[in-house]
Amino acid sequence: MTIIMNLRRFAFRCVVAALPVACAALALAQSPQGLDPATLLKPPADSWPTFHGDYSGRRHSRLAQITPDNVHQLTVAWTFQTGSAAGIKSSPILVNGVMYVTMPDNIWAIDARTGRQIWRYTYPANEGFHIGHRGAAIYKDTVFLTTPDAHLVALDVRDGKVKWDVVIADAKKGFWSTNAPLLVRDHLLVGVSGDFDNLPGTLKSIDPETGKTQWIFYSTPPPGTPDSISGGATGGQMWNTGTYDPDLNLVYVGTGNPTPVLNGPARPGDNKWVCSILAIDPDTGKLAWGFQASPHDTHDWDAAEVPVLVDGVFAGAQRKMVIQASRNGYYFVLDRTNGKSLLTKPFAAANWAKGVDEKGSPIPDPAMEPARDGRLVAPNEGGGTNYRSPSFDPRTGLFIVSAQDAYGIYFFKQEHGSYGWAGADYGVYGKGMLRALDYQTGKVKWEHDIGGEGSAGVLTTETGVTFSGDAANSVFALRTSDGATLWHSMIGRVGNSPITYELDGRQYMVVAGGGVLYAWTLPEKIAR
Amino acid sequence: MNAPIIGPRVAARIALAFLLTVLIVTFLDAQAPAPAPAGRGGQAPAGQGRGRGPQQSPASQKPPQTVTAQTYPAELVQRGQTLFAANCGFCHGRDAMGGETGPDLTRSALVAEDVRGDKIIPLVHTGRVDKGMPPSNLPDADLAAIVAFIHDTKVKAESLEGNRRTVDPSDLQTGNAQAGQQYFNGAGGCAKCHSATGDLAGLATRLQGLQLFQRMLYPGGRGRGGASRATPVATIKLPSGETITGKVAYQDEFNIAITDASGYYRSWPTSTVKATVENPLDAHIAQLAKYTNDDLHNVLAYLQTLK
Repeated sequence: MTIIMNLRRFAFRCVVAALPVACAALALAQSPQGLDPATLLKPPADSWPTFHGDYSGRRHSRLAQITPDNVHQLTVAWTFQTGSAAGIKSSPILVNGVMYVTMPDNIWAIDARTGRQIWRYTYPANEGFHIGHRGAAIYKDTVFLTTPDAHLVALDVRDGKVKWDVVIADAKKGFWSTNAPLLVRDHLLVGVSGDFDNLPGTLKSIDPETGKTQWIFYSTPPPGTPDSISGGATGGQMWNTGTYDPDLNLVYVGTGNPTPVLNGPARPGDNKWVCSILAIDPDTGKLAWGFQASPHDTHDWDAAEVPVLVDGVFAGAQRKMVIQASRNGYYFVLDRTNGKSLLTKPFAAANWAKGVDEKGSPIPDPAMEPARDGRLVAPNEGGGTNYRSPSFDPRTGLFIVSAQDAYGIYFFKQEHGSYGWAGADYGVYGKGMLRALDYQTGKVKWEHDIGGEGSAGVLTTETGVTFSGDAANSVFALRTSDGATLWHSMIGRVGNSPITYELDGRQYMVVAGGGVLYAWTLPEKIAR
Repeated sequence: MNAPIIGPRVAARIALAFLLTVLIVTFLDAQAPAPAPAGRGGQAPAGQGRGRGPQQSPASQKPPQTVTAQTYPAELVQRGQTLFAANCGFCHGRDAMGGETGPDLTRSALVAEDVRGDKIIPLVHTGRVDKGMPPSNLPDADLAAIVAFIHDTKVKAESLEGNRRTVDPSDLQTGNAQAGQQYFNGAGGCAKCHSATGDLAGLATRLQGLQLFQRMLYPGGRGRGGASRATPVATIKLPSGETITGKVAYQDEFNIAITDASGYYRSWPTSTVKATVENPLDAHIAQLAKYTNDDLHNVLAYLQTLK
């Protein structure tokens, strides 16, 4: 029995009584702090109700109050101090005027108008891996936090009280979770991490009401099954948040690198489905199709980066596409109805492929596999890009990515074994660039030097403003059309992806500088 | 005209239904499942991989040897491992061997000199705020366990026989020194800045193995036998026409700072001055895209002869 069913029953009565006015009143009365999953299909302007803001992963906002002409007037509306010296890496979510931001073991509910803390929940001390956290998810009156020891905790949005706590994967085996879950109707898709150990790539669908597991999808063979198509590879964790096409009813998710990580000979073949973009039915957990970004990866280049959904023209025909700037330095355009490749092209320094095969996957050059005496390879382990979110601007057709041209040296010898990392690699040099790609050709329309390795994601808005951060503690706004700098502020290392929303007629942009959240808006008299 | 659209009876029904729904919703919320048992406990998995992140510690160098040998009870080490993963792993990696932002502690000189926490514990208390390490107020008993784990891990790291993350100098002997010398003086363009009898004389006695390899590729990286002397130099032309030259102390899109000839730090917004920066490492960066695999190992072989 659910609230929705009650509502439906009641809606029927309303219709019978021919009283749409009462229905509207009831909708308002329903649950002031909750989130109806249907809202995610068309998020209102006063919300950022899921990790990417909506299901498309575009991080593009229709809000138009902040423009290239006035962005230099942005002023701090409020800041929120987590008190943590570690930086915020997560993307906040916002529902009904309340913002939820996370760090490992912690979630804060804060007033999106004032930055005032409403409540804070701290998960009990645990031995999980505290590497970072990507963000929370919300369903009706419940907000969800994944934990360093791979649990999923359901909290009451009103006071942060624990409703239930379930194990997603066994931390003792080496799993942890930083994942911002993806809600699709009554399925909460929760991913895990773990490439220090040879573990199967695991994605779970959890019932957001009860915490019960609905299905498990394995990107590599589950425990106790033959390793047939993976060629002996484990890994392929789906640690980043996927995207969703409601018309096709498919979830798109990127899979991580294989284990053993640098030891290629231990796992011959392509190693499906690691380093891949996968389309999964959210109701059944069945794979609809897969596309491998890095066949037989030996450089830790997962394809977990955001699979962004784009509807538009490609080579003269209207297409439903999924596009990704992948950690291996390649930009991919796929037909998202069937996974067929439309374009494969490098967007960052990449010297590891001999060409592209008929399916659109780069062909790894065996000479660039890690070796006893070292191989100089681009990208480095950090990749051509990474977890920091890109943005797609439909107005200009630009796909804006925090890219890196980087070299690393990769070593493997038999003595390194075949468990976990199984090798050694070292970054040599890297240079960060915000790159704007023409989504149809992959050509770089402009690039903006960010002075070092980037850690900030990207947000674009309808008025042609691009928000991101550089490697030197600045958040900045660029003109989307040409990458020219419009505004900046040195707020500390920008380690997350900016979000935007409108409350009380004012547009806010919220971004993290170090362990502090900053909410920017135009001065009041201009906004009103 | 404001004719009533609902009669009183219907209105009462609506109100009742509304009330019921609110009650049901409230009831449902009250029925939220009770907190599940956490089910945690047990031992953190042994760190079978190594630290993550693009900036890694110089793992090929022999770690500084522990000055005063120390042993710790296994239970304390195990407890320390748990505490370390939870409190320190965020930066230093789960296995203390370096993570996204923090260095490999098994290669730390401070750890090598530490005796039962006499150096580590005060440092943890004060933090290294300038380097992003926050002060910690963990109780002493927890810190003692963490110290035990760090020392135990360090001892294990010192005795590792190539089973992970090690590159031995003997692994790097695949090049041809003669071909390397030719490349150095010819196609590689190394001789434009370097000389085997000048700045690089005796290089192979100072640097060996992976450390030499890394510095050959890019001497600007941090923590590889000290910072490169090859600092970028900026020439700043002020609006007055005055020109100041100095080593670049800071540079981003919006600001530039130098250390001038007298040792003073001076900074300007880039919009107000004309700054020209010469980075002697540009040639190293450009070369990364040009080396063949043979070139790399040949030049390394040649450098290894410069004793």
